[in-house]
Amino acid sequence: MNRAEQALFNDKKMGFFIYLGVEAIMFAVLFATYLIFTPASNGPQPSEIFEAKTVILSSFFLLSSSGTLWLGERALKSEKQNIFLTGLGITMLFAIIFLGFEVYEFASFVREGHGMGVNVFMSSYYVLVGLHAAHVAFGIGWMAVLFVQYFRQIPLTLFTEKLSIFSYYWHFVDVVWVFIIGIVYLPYLL
Amino acid sequence: MKFTLFGVNIMLPSDVLAAWVFTLLLGAVVVFLVLKKKRLGLIWEYMVTTNHRKIGILYILFGIIYFFRAGLDALFIRTQLAFPNNDFWVFQGEKYNEVFTTHGTMMIFFVAMPLLLGLMNTVVPLQIGARDLAFPFLNAVGFWLFFFGSIFFNISFFLNMTPEIGWTGYAPLSTEQFTPGAGSDFYIFGLQISGLGTIFTALNLIVTIVRHRAPGMKMTRMPLFAWTSLITSFLILIAFTVLAIALYLLMFDRLFGAGFFSGTEGNPIYWQHLFWIFGHPEVYILALPAFGIFSDVISTFSRKRVFGYPIMVLSVALIGFLGFMVWAHHMFTVGLGPMANTFFAITTMLIAVPTGIKVFNWLFTMRLGVIRFTTPMLFSLGFIPSFVMGGVTGVMLSVSAADFQFHDTHFVVAHFHYVIIASTILGIFAGLYYWYPKITGYVLDEKLGRWHFWTFLIGFHLTFFPMHITGLEGMPRRVYTYDDSGGLAELNFMSTIGAFLMGVSMLFAIWNVYKTYKEGRKVGNDPWDGRTLEWSVASPAPEHTFDPMPVVEGIDSFWFAKSAGKKMPVTDQVRATPLEVQSILPFLIGSTLFFLSLGLTFSWYWLSILSAFILFTLLVVRSLKDEREDHYGRRK
Amino acid sequence: MKRLLVMPFLLLLTGCNIKVLDSRSDTANDQAFLIIYSFSLMLIVVLVVSILFIRFVFKYRYTEERKDNIPPDVKGNKWLETAWVIGPLLLLAILAVPTIMMTYDQSPVLSTESEQEGTSVQVTAEQFNWTFEHANGKTEQNRLVIPEGGTILLHLKSEDVIHSFWVPRLGGKVDVMPDRELVYEIKNPQIGTYEGKCAEYCGLGHTNMKFEAEVVSADEYASYLNEK
Ligand code: HEM
Ligand SMILES: [Cu+2]
Ligand SMILES: [Cu+2]
Repeated sequence: MNRAEQALFNDKKMGFFIYLGVEAIMFAVLFATYLIFTPASNGPQPSEIFEAKTVILSSFFLLSSSGTLWLGERALKSEKQNIFLTGLGITMLFAIIFLGFEVYEFASFVREGHGMGVNVFMSSYYVLVGLHAAHVAFGIGWMAVLFVQYFRQIPLTLFTEKLSIFSYYWHFVDVVWVFIIGIVYLPYLL
Repeated sequence: MKFTLFGVNIMLPSDVLAAWVFTLLLGAVVVFLVLKKKRLGLIWEYMVTTNHRKIGILYILFGIIYFFRAGLDALFIRTQLAFPNNDFWVFQGEKYNEVFTTHGTMMIFFVAMPLLLGLMNTVVPLQIGARDLAFPFLNAVGFWLFFFGSIFFNISFFLNMTPEIGWTGYAPLSTEQFTPGAGSDFYIFGLQISGLGTIFTALNLIVTIVRHRAPGMKMTRMPLFAWTSLITSFLILIAFTVLAIALYLLMFDRLFGAGFFSGTEGNPIYWQHLFWIFGHPEVYILALPAFGIFSDVISTFSRKRVFGYPIMVLSVALIGFLGFMVWAHHMFTVGLGPMANTFFAITTMLIAVPTGIKVFNWLFTMRLGVIRFTTPMLFSLGFIPSFVMGGVTGVMLSVSAADFQFHDTHFVVAHFHYVIIASTILGIFAGLYYWYPKITGYVLDEKLGRWHFWTFLIGFHLTFFPMHITGLEGMPRRVYTYDDSGGLAELNFMSTIGAFLMGVSMLFAIWNVYKTYKEGRKVGNDPWDGRTLEWSVASPAPEHTFDPMPVVEGIDSFWFAKSAGKKMPVTDQVRATPLEVQSILPFLIGSTLFFLSLGLTFSWYWLSILSAFILFTLLVVRSLKDEREDHYGRRK
Repeated sequence: MKRLLVMPFLLLLTGCNIKVLDSRSDTANDQAFLIIYSFSLMLIVVLVVSILFIRFVFKYRYTEERKDNIPPDVKGNKWLETAWVIGPLLLLAILAVPTIMMTYDQSPVLSTESEQEGTSVQVTAEQFNWTFEHANGKTEQNRLVIPEGGTILLHLKSEDVIHSFWVPRLGGKVDVMPDRELVYEIKNPQIGTYEGKCAEYCGLGHTNMKFEAEVVSADEYASYLNEK
């Protein structure tokens, strides 16, 4: 990267970190909402409906996808193209599996009659975890675009930049998930 | 009026009908003029631009258009309230509720915000020696989101589905049970879309100010308008994000059956907390940039640097910080208990201290100076005493036990108009007169400017001063009529006269712009004998500024160089310039959000899904057409 | 037109009986005191600023003689700046003391936390009516009758949206919430009939959501309770 590229990248990095700060505030407010409204005075209770199995499995995939992304990024730096592609591919696969678990979890709740409007606990659960799932879905699309960019052979420095920005996003989404485990699930599974 | 269109019975009240007729006529005139003068190309140029000055102009243009629309609402309000037990046109009951909701919402979100963002957009890069905002494309996205958000809010009126929940949208009134119509959804999505744009613009301004300053332009040498823009942007990031989530939750309550704010388990006070955690900082978001404008204007026209620069910056930061600790002073009467009430009363009083510092520093900036009474300076001079009057009623309101009486009366209406109009609106006028040459290359007429100023200032005090008393006479806000007792009739009539005087004063402003357009005098770089960098570039500011790049050596270094008869030193060591592009994508991105919201509002989910799909496609297109591709070294 | 001309005098005269300031209970009296007290303190601020403002603007205005005058390059003044930090702080401290006292005395609380004794009235607000239920079950709409002297405890609850209970001359106001019951005290009301109204925007009929508050002697109150 030359100086001009570096300067523009640093602009972007700073802008994106600020954006992640905005996201952090958003999730913070939603966590507060969850804490205020859970448990609800009637209707389904978190300890009754959460299942440890899905949480553990989905967490495994999402959290390790951060690791595979990191490995892929490193491989790109040392110009090991194939390892990079595999790393990004596995990240995407894990993300899709995670999303599958989320959809399954939501669907089974709805099937049992625990929809959005059942009580305030369910509402605050859906708006928080649902927003996170939307972020994962967005990330999957983003990775697909990254693949396209890679094969379009855009300038390598530019591609590295795009990948770094994505990885900030992805690690952020993971950190949010860690908070979701700690605040949403764990207190009611122990 | 009732009529049938394509087999559907449509009921249009006469005010909506009038709006349709008026808008169509006006639209026809505009289209005719555009075609006749062959200006389609110009419109296209602005639709695809990412240049900071042009986007600034767009913000200002729409801010002013909405100012007239929301001002018209204010005149309807005042006409209805002119006499006791009055029945003006349709503005009783529901229509009155609609009109004050639109007035408040538009004034805050679609008048004050865009005008300030517009000024920041045009002026801040010029003041700090940046060639554009850090992310020109994002800047355009920010504007078009504001634009489509505001249009979304505005069409509700033409569909006769205006929101009627006040600009505060208090739950449970704003939930589906009590306002089942689409009105409140227009409020939610309109603010959501435009708020998102505001967040992007704030982010952009921060990166610009932190990373794109000219060589030698240390943070501690920036003009105060740049400083206040920076701090305001941080406030926006926090406040508007909280608002976004509040609206997000309210949307789930209204459209998807959640129960955060209503029903047996919902918590209406939670809405108030979220809203005011946004809402109180919002008033500082409106006031701080205006403070920056006044600081620059007062300093220029006193021919002196700002008195106590460090403490001026510090007090702005302190106001911003304390601004997040006072929100519950809007909730003294909801029963948070004596402890919370005391806490918020004290923090509110504390804000008066940094604000007071600023007032005294402005006064002492003028001391020993040479005060030139140009129009921008007149507005700044009008600001000081008027704002102090609003400030002291603010302190009175912070006395929580006294606020039990003040709360939700016209005393409060008087208070917040005193602060908002004195700071934000006068500040915007000062800024527009001051920077008009930099934006257009012409200077506005001074004589008409003085007429504008004096009629506005007198009208303003005449309108709002009596409201202090009507409030104490027991007149709640948001009521459409009152009985003739205790002088209410006379006081309200005075208010109405004042409001119309302000209306007249705006005619002077239009006349001024028109006259300047017709016979204006072209000016050079520096018509006011300015002190800061923006006066070193050509008027109007060209697309490519600061070539060669000046080197800044201290506060007001342009002025000191000038008065020493020297030129500022220059350099060609310049950091990478932001890449400007021409793109219609920002406009399209904004429009997809418009249709997405429309689909959600009317449960046409296919439309929402389609728009979301197009939105993501556009993002992909954007990613594939990254302008940096052509500037980066190609892959080996 | 003539009425408009006498306006300024009217303003001065009404100053003495502006409803909120012309209080008819100890609660409202305390509030009126706070209003006048804070107003006087703030008048000092306005005066100081106005005097400086007028003096500076007049003295340092642009004149032909001072046309080319380059003012001294003053950067600031530590002492002055400290002065206007300390000054306002002192003024606010003076204001804060009675504020805190009365806030503790008067803030509405949840009815589960209230320990006061007095005549209780259950106030129920709904779009767009007030219902007042007395201790013995006597109920009346849009007319609140209470005995003079002593402490009145209003238990307020809403049936639908948020309303706000306000009788300007007796003190106020307090929000009427749908999800919680608040208690508001009115101390020592004096005999008379006062207008009350809803002060929180609550929808279509908000403007007309009024009631009458009648303070009567203890005997009259007793017979009011017993009449059918
Ligand atoms: C230009 C002349 C203006 C006039 C004559 C005017 C008049 C009024 C009046 C009479 C009300 C009270 C309505 C009621 O409670 O029944 C009101 C409310 C309001 N005004 Fe203005 N106003 C003006 C300008 C502004 C400006 C510049 C702003 C802000 C930038 C503003 C913001 C508001 C807000 C937020 C409300 C509260 C709306 C609500 O209750 O939901 N107004 N205005
Ligand atoms: Cu506030
Ligand atoms: Cu009401």
